[in-house]
Amino acid sequence: MKFRVERDVLSEAVAWVVRGLSNRPPVPVLAGVLLTADPEGTLTFSAYDYEVSATVTVEAEVAEGGQVLVLGRLLADIARNLPAKPVEVSTDGAKVSLTCGSSRFSLIQMPVADYPQLPNQSETSGSVPGDAFTQAVTQVSIAADRGDTLPILTGVRVEIDGEKITMLATDRYRLAQRELTWSPGSTDAEHVCLIPARTLSETAKSLGASAAVDLSLGEAGRGDGLVGFEAGQRRTTTRLLDGEYPKVTSIFPSSVDSVAVVDTQVFIEAVRRVALVAERNTPVRLRFSEGQLAIEAGTGDDAQGSEAIESTLEGPEIEIAFNPQFLLDGLGVLGQPYTRLSFTQSSRPAVISGQAELDGDADDSYRYVLMPVRFAG
Amino acid sequence: MSVFDQLVGQPRVVSTLRRASTEPAAMTHAWLFTGPPGSGRSVAARTFAAALQCEGAGGVQVGCGECQPCRMVMAGSHPDVRVVDTDQTFIKVGEARELVLEAQARPSLGRWRVMVVEDADRLNDHSANTLLKSLEEPTARTVWMLCAPSLEDVLVTVRSRCRHVRLGTPSPHAVADLLISRDGIDPSMAHYAARAAQSHIGIARRLATDEHARARRREITSIPTGLASLGDALRAAQDLVDEAGEGAKATSADHAEEQRRELLTQLGADLTARTQPPSVRAHLRRLDDRLKAEARRQQHDSIDAALTDLASVYRDALLVTAGSGLDRVNASEPEQIQLLARSFSAEQLLLALETIGEARQRLIANGAPLLVLEAMMIGLLLPRG
Repeated sequence: MKFRVERDVLSEAVAWVVRGLSNRPPVPVLAGVLLTADPEGTLTFSAYDYEVSATVTVEAEVAEGGQVLVLGRLLADIARNLPAKPVEVSTDGAKVSLTCGSSRFSLIQMPVADYPQLPNQSETSGSVPGDAFTQAVTQVSIAADRGDTLPILTGVRVEIDGEKITMLATDRYRLAQRELTWSPGSTDAEHVCLIPARTLSETAKSLGASAAVDLSLGEAGRGDGLVGFEAGQRRTTTRLLDGEYPKVTSIFPSSVDSVAVVDTQVFIEAVRRVALVAERNTPVRLRFSEGQLAIEAGTGDDAQGSEAIESTLEGPEIEIAFNPQFLLDGLGVLGQPYTRLSFTQSSRPAVISGQAELDGDADDSYRYVLMPVRFAG
Repeated sequence: MSVFDQLVGQPRVVSTLRRASTEPAAMTHAWLFTGPPGSGRSVAARTFAAALQCEGAGGVQVGCGECQPCRMVMAGSHPDVRVVDTDQTFIKVGEARELVLEAQARPSLGRWRVMVVEDADRLNDHSANTLLKSLEEPTARTVWMLCAPSLEDVLVTVRSRCRHVRLGTPSPHAVADLLISRDGIDPSMAHYAARAAQSHIGIARRLATDEHARARRREITSIPTGLASLGDALRAAQDLVDEAGEGAKATSADHAEEQRRELLTQLGADLTARTQPPSVRAHLRRLDDRLKAEARRQQHDSIDAALTDLASVYRDALLVTAGSGLDRVNASEPEQIQLLARSFSAEQLLLALETIGEARQRLIANGAPLLVLEAMMIGLLLPRG
């Protein structure tokens, strides 16, 4: 194998591919990155850790085709620090030699035969704008469970119905749901799958910069256990979770008594300040009255803090308490200048959504449902 | 060659597993394989996993052993088959939690996600309880396979959630046939080894191929007739412990070097380098820890194997005393058996077997090997006169 490639192309491709490689791979050989040079003039990098696979194809001047497996992180480190000159790579016995300008490296080949076969990616089912996809994933995955009591809750439920994608995640204390439109391959597309939240958000981060992300959801039967994402020359697959996701749509309150609208940024800052005195497991208390929202934390002998900010209120006054971190998580990903909070009672879940103007309409594409904390008095 | 060929002398089990992997109605989501050591519990689980993932010959002959999924499962590199084996005393709860999370994932290449726990008897209460929920209701395409020596070795709550498959002790003939066909061993040697190993396939193979192992076995089987005085008993105990320690050290030094070399090639590290980069060092440290734990367990296993051999001599003597026509394990050393049968009464032979059994219990309970063996040997002294 022998090829020549630009330094930037190499370092970008390798860095992207190894980003998902864990430091402690299940099998040592998975610490490698597979380089496949095609005499047609393309070079493919692949990495796989049984959970996520990543491949990227770049153009290169290939003098001789072939495959080698080398340590992924080491190659990424080397590529990042090379001088800005073309890089020549060729096999040299049991080693791979890499030359760039006057610097030379000799890497040891890992056994290609031991490397597992990467899962095949099925056909594209449709595409989503990159920025909307990234935002939606960030908004939803914060609510996914990180614990291990109910493995199914560590996933994001993605439901596709025609041109609408609904993403949903919950950890039993809060629930986030985002709806967005996409361009499906066929208009009668219908699909439900459960993607691990951690890998989904990593994927969104690494592909979101591109204009469009293609999704491939696989067909029934084989290959169904994976979801594939593709943006430009970058392709990645993630294994899916299986099982029956709890029926959670009934959690959204059917009626609303009080609605308050506050400035998102002001609200976040105030909560963050007041929450400083809220010790572990103690809530921040919010008291909504006409024109004002009072935020308090701390009780009795402990340190206390309070702050009042401007707010509108329709309906009866209400006092409600939340876990400050859960509240801040939701507010932080809202992405709208104003926050709308809808309540029924102080013991019932509240719905947080965004809106663009103080007295405008609510934007219901993203809803964050938060269970209140009971408090005395 | 079908993967099931490796399951020796278990025709009933093979037919159950074959049926389960071809007929959806015969399939179950959790299995518990039990059987005496050497009967091939983990082999059964692996071959079953291979049969479930097999793609060969259009389902007529599942577990073809030649298609890629079959080979990947048998080599332990199939992404959908997770094999948990531990060299430690217990499978810790953290590991159990990871397994539960992994069991939730869909298979990415094959038809099933298979979770094989090779030492289910090493699940402590806490980690066994962690698995319960997933064992009871795994997702539609996840299969759990647990292996344990007997039903009593796993929690009753785990047991009740699994379909039980019992592997019997294969007949010495079946084991001998395997040694002849698979390892190309001379028939008379194969029959001797299979009988002496009491059908434990791994031990039989070692006896058949390793002169040192045979010599060692002869030494052990000649212990009973040499126990004339207290001094003899103490010496015999000391020899047993020394030999086990040395054996463990010798095998593990070779083994360690081999493992180290294999790991370094897989990591793509330079074998000859004096100092390795930090990421490689971390792998090496983990390997060292594992090898140390393995060596400890090996010493224990080695003493335990010696006690099995020792007990077989008393068993044979008891058969002679009782006039039974059953096959003798030590048919190759009739004089010793006769001598022992003359020196001991049937009752004394039974007591001797019990003494050995008690020593094994004490070793499991982590008794100091030398003390336990000394106490045992003193209990086995030849009656005076």
